[in-house]
Amino acid sequence: MDADPQPTDLDRYPTLTPAGQRLLSFLKEHPHAPIYRNESGNRLLPEEVTRVRSFESEVAAAAIDWRAGEPPRWLEEFTASTYADVPHYRRQGTPPARFEDILSISRADLSRDIASFVPDSVPVERMINFRTSGTSGHPLLLASHPVVAASYLAFHKRALRRHGITLLAGAGEVGVVLIGHQKKCFTYVSVTPTMNEAGLAKINLHPDDWRDPEDRAKYLDDLKAEVYTGDPISFAELLTLPVTWRPRALLSTSMTLLPGLRQRLEERFQCPVLDLYSMNEAGPIAVADPAAGGHVLLQPRMYVEILDEEDRPLPPGERGEVTLTGGFNFCLPLLRYRTGDHAALDFSGPEPVLVGLQGRPPVRYRTTSGSWINNIEITHALRPLALPQWTVHQAADGTVTFRHAGMDSLNTQLRQILQSILGDGQRLHVEQQAFLDGKVIQYTSDLADPATT
Amino acid sequence: MTHEGPPLETLLHRLAETPAEFLDEPKIGSKGRVHVDSVVADLLRLHGAAPTPSEMAAFTGKDASRDRNRLAVTLLLTWLAADEWFIKHRFNAATLLPLLEGTARELAEQTVAGAFLTDPDRSEEITRITLARLDFRPEGESSAQAQDRLTSLSATERARVIAAARAAELRARAIREALAKKAAEESADKYTRE
Repeated sequence: MDADPQPTDLDRYPTLTPAGQRLLSFLKEHPHAPIYRNESGNRLLPEEVTRVRSFESEVAAAAIDWRAGEPPRWLEEFTASTYADVPHYRRQGTPPARFEDILSISRADLSRDIASFVPDSVPVERMINFRTSGTSGHPLLLASHPVVAASYLAFHKRALRRHGITLLAGAGEVGVVLIGHQKKCFTYVSVTPTMNEAGLAKINLHPDDWRDPEDRAKYLDDLKAEVYTGDPISFAELLTLPVTWRPRALLSTSMTLLPGLRQRLEERFQCPVLDLYSMNEAGPIAVADPAAGGHVLLQPRMYVEILDEEDRPLPPGERGEVTLTGGFNFCLPLLRYRTGDHAALDFSGPEPVLVGLQGRPPVRYRTTSGSWINNIEITHALRPLALPQWTVHQAADGTVTFRHAGMDSLNTQLRQILQSILGDGQRLHVEQQAFLDGKVIQYTSDLADPATT
Repeated sequence: MTHEGPPLETLLHRLAETPAEFLDEPKIGSKGRVHVDSVVADLLRLHGAAPTPSEMAAFTGKDASRDRNRLAVTLLLTWLAADEWFIKHRFNAATLLPLLEGTARELAEQTVAGAFLTDPDRSEEITRITLARLDFRPEGESSAQAQDRLTSLSATERARVIAAARAAELRARAIREALAKKAAEESADKYTRE
């Protein structure tokens, strides 16, 4: 017997009904359908469908009301069970009496030995993996489970409710199209059992994945999906297509969504565009809400700290590294997991808010006057523009190279913005370029920063 | 184990009554509160020895993931070695420091510090090792009896540690294999991708 058999459709869609099968056929065999390159599915067993629905109700009802210095009530028990059940922590003995004394971990720790972070109590039989890119030098293979993947929707729904949207798609309808725009992209179709088998299509807008590039808009129009999800790059490409269908919402993940691009998408599709802070290690963490002044946390069982380099929690308002404890991936309970992203916490509203969220550690750039500016100042200055993606690099001689995936016509405006930040006489290259390989390290410098050297 | 020492029960009782200060988090970098080097230095002074900074350097951890358990065990050994009976015998630094550093390291590699208080066999093991490294045996036991009992306790613990390490390795392999399977690679539906 083959020790690693090819999954069957019964594995992929254990609860599939004839109606669901018809929808899958419609998605795959549509005359304008893309060339689907892969296969996957929801993999949910009947009892797991019930479990995920119940989880959605819990997430919808739960408040996130912890505050600085007042951690959530579940934290102590979660810490104790993680130390007892997870090999990495069990080796360290009993948990420290003070939560702040727990040593943080980072992507590098997970990358080195993921197995030691998986609780002993989790059976291996139905594990799936989430793979993440290695822009930080640490590609990850994470342990997860079909229930975890399906549970993402609970947080999307919570985020959408902030905008007054309740998802309604059901049998015979398409719930979501996940839109990518990459040279190579995992593409397939499925149905969502917790949404009465609403359809799911994961597509790639790259012309190579279509028999005719003009099919892209036709297919999207015929699918009439309730929601589009993607990233600023794929959404920027979507804007170039003559799509007439109006989804009820767009969800953007993976990279910074500038207000300029968000506004263009909202105008074009006449629906809210949500900017989600999400990562494979933790799922959807927060959603941008301009009225709240930042990204509002979404997970009732996720405790977020802002740490300095010595693992000390910083007070509200002070910027540091976003660090996570808890989460809903029972295959990977996080305990003081440093995300590599930076923000400050604000508790002035009813829920904790991440303010000034920026991926990766801050990078400073030398201006022509010799002073130094933080990369967040560049991000702020770019807010009005509809840039899907960009990088900034300062060479050892001070020259700044700005590459972006926006329109060529923005180059002059970009040059003016950068000159105003970096000073008159700044040597500057502004280049348009397609970033089709996914995430990149956005801010880099060859200059030695006196603050860190 | 040349000399007869105090009754084993006296030291076991002392261990069971370890004060909270000796169970608190060792200070390593910005974490923890107990300066283990200071505690060790105080013990040496109680014994009439004069601690030097270079001797104390071994008791300031640099890496919490590596040093936390070792220093927690050092604190327990320090508490035991501060028993009145030992103080009366006044040990010098050359005798005490190997116990507090090397022996602590050996014990910490196999056992988490908390187990020396909660597991009766581990309590007996750390107590007997303390006596043995200071060249004593429990009152009423011959050297051979004391050695046999300590060997038996340590062998049982070693066997447990080896079995646990083997089980952990099998589990890690099972996880890695499960994650590499075709079904795992296909992953499962999410509404968004990161």
